[in-house]
Amino acid sequence: MDLRGARARLWADPLLLAVPALFLILVLIVYPALQTLGLSFLSKDGAFVGLKNFADVLSDPETLNLARFPAHTPPWGSLVHNAIWILLHLPLTVAIGLGLAILLRDVRGSAILRSIIFLGMVTPMIVGGVIIRFLFDENAGIVNAFLRLAGLQALARSWTAYPDTALLSLILGSVWLWSGFAMVLYSAGLSTIPRDYYEAASVDGASPLQQFWYITVPSLRPVTSVVVAMTILWDLKIFDLVYTATLGGPGGSSMVLALQMYFYGFRALRFNTAAAVATVLSLFTLVVGIAFIRSSRREE
Amino acid sequence: MKRWLVLLVVALFVLSGCARAPAPAAEPAPKPVLTVIGPWSGPEMEAFLPVLKAAEEKVGARINYRIYRAEDLASILPAQFEAAQAPGDVIFMWDWWVKENAQHAVDLADVWQSEAGQFILEAAEAEGKVCAVPYAMTVKPGFWYRKSFFQQHHLKPPTTWEELKALLEQVAGLPGIKKPIVTGDGVGWPISDITEHFLIACGGPQLQLDLIAGKVKWTDAQVRSVFADRLVPLLPYFSDPVEWTQAIDLWWNGEYALYFMGNWLTGMVKQPDDLGVFTLPGAKGVVAGTDYAFIPKYSENVDAARKLVAFLISREGMETRAKQGGKLAGRKDVPADVYPPADKALAEALAQVEVTLPDLDDSIGGDWQRTFWDQLKLLWVRPKALDEVLTTLESKRQSK
Repeated sequence: MDLRGARARLWADPLLLAVPALFLILVLIVYPALQTLGLSFLSKDGAFVGLKNFADVLSDPETLNLARFPAHTPPWGSLVHNAIWILLHLPLTVAIGLGLAILLRDVRGSAILRSIIFLGMVTPMIVGGVIIRFLFDENAGIVNAFLRLAGLQALARSWTAYPDTALLSLILGSVWLWSGFAMVLYSAGLSTIPRDYYEAASVDGASPLQQFWYITVPSLRPVTSVVVAMTILWDLKIFDLVYTATLGGPGGSSMVLALQMYFYGFRALRFNTAAAVATVLSLFTLVVGIAFIRSSRREE
Repeated sequence: MKRWLVLLVVALFVLSGCARAPAPAAEPAPKPVLTVIGPWSGPEMEAFLPVLKAAEEKVGARINYRIYRAEDLASILPAQFEAAQAPGDVIFMWDWWVKENAQHAVDLADVWQSEAGQFILEAAEAEGKVCAVPYAMTVKPGFWYRKSFFQQHHLKPPTTWEELKALLEQVAGLPGIKKPIVTGDGVGWPISDITEHFLIACGGPQLQLDLIAGKVKWTDAQVRSVFADRLVPLLPYFSDPVEWTQAIDLWWNGEYALYFMGNWLTGMVKQPDDLGVFTLPGAKGVVAGTDYAFIPKYSENVDAARKLVAFLISREGMETRAKQGGKLAGRKDVPADVYPPADKALAEALAQVEVTLPDLDDSIGGDWQRTFWDQLKLLWVRPKALDEVLTTLESKRQSK
């Protein structure tokens, strides 16, 4: 009896401590998520329609426009745009974040430089979107000023106004805003790698490139999995940047899933269709989340 | 002795309770506090606040003003209304949106009936009630120019298409000019205003009304002709879309000669007296837009809010707003004398216009409006995409 009581206490105490957090998670996350899931299977008047809302979303050219992909300029549909966003943004962010962290590792006063680079990350993304719009503006934009200086006059135009460059300019802008995050994580990761590894490798005659590939990269694997997971999640839920910079245009050429969900819900007042997009987005993030947890367990 | 003292204290205590307390001064009933939500900030808000100040005395309420754009309200209000809450007592919003959400709006028929005959635009009606009433108007009269710029370069406002094309050619050749016309870009509406002006000038006012009603398709030959024969050939004279407030500075500083904008421009330039405006040749109507006021039925001050709306649309309320400039009265009985000079000229010119038309995309609303803005932005930089643009607009219109 005493043993059973002790066992029960062993479970009860942590459970009791977790109750407030569990309650909040249930009320603020689980319940709305289930409601949204339920809504996605209903029509506007509350009748069960099965997967119709999902079919509507996937057959909408704003979601998937494969007739134009890849031979023509965007729009290719929000699903493709999100995929392109991940394909471009993720490697660039990882490479730039890691590169900056290594470059600034032994630089005196690098903490200040790192803080400045990290500022992009703490900038509200609504402001970030406005800044991106001005960065690529024909008249006021610094990007076009550089292009003119470099003699590339033909490329100097309002990038966010053209269907072939709008998505690219947003992705490049978000790389600028997000790379600080990757850099800070990699800087922290680098500081945990013992110097002895590099000294021993040098004694054995390893070149700096070999040291990078065989010491730095493997040692930073746990950090990389965090950066990759967080970046993909950021790419999937991207909304505010696009909303303020292009509103998904021109002609839907920079539309993304989260913005499309907003338009379904709050402009077309089709909340059930919006719920279907939200469910699709949640499934994607769930896949990333599960992959991240598995990778973390392997690391452990 | 001690007992007597205790008895005395108790007796005094009891007597003090029986004594008649001095009557408190009669406090006036607290004034209700009304919250008005509108889209105006900066100079536009400064012009609206005197109206609310005047209304406070008339209504007998304290009035707070909060700024929310219609785009933001569209995402806030549904959740608020579901919870039977209202963030404001009087809210300015798109008419199409209020119609779609008429079940949450107070019926303003009693306020509107006595004034309706004096108004240029109609109220928003749905579910058998007047759910929102129009307020002060903005008009989109045409292309603005600086009189001093035109004088300096010996230019004249055109009266025919040939003169218009000649003017644009002449301006394009001037030194320092990037393009003859600067294209303002917000979320897309300045471009939609230009397009509507072309539709009215080249297709007639009825075309605008038919497109709003869905009687004419966007792929119709008449519509396509306005785009293909009139608008698209002039697009090379327009700049790429530039953020619309930035565009004002560029245009004012002489990098561009013409700017299509609503009459609120008069309140946003340094010398309104230097402004001139011309319509496209043949235009027999202009678009007048307005913000619609409605009262959510979850307001705790419906009666006071009703009085406030009545004041806002009354002649006195409208004159108070007209005096501040930047907007025109939505009523016909407001004399031109009350306006500042720049608006007075416009009000007089408007009185001569044959037809005042509702804003096309504001009237249709919904996701179609967003598509309209977006597709026109595409057309501006890819004129060859005309048929694709018109097909998309028609297909979205059908699905609305």
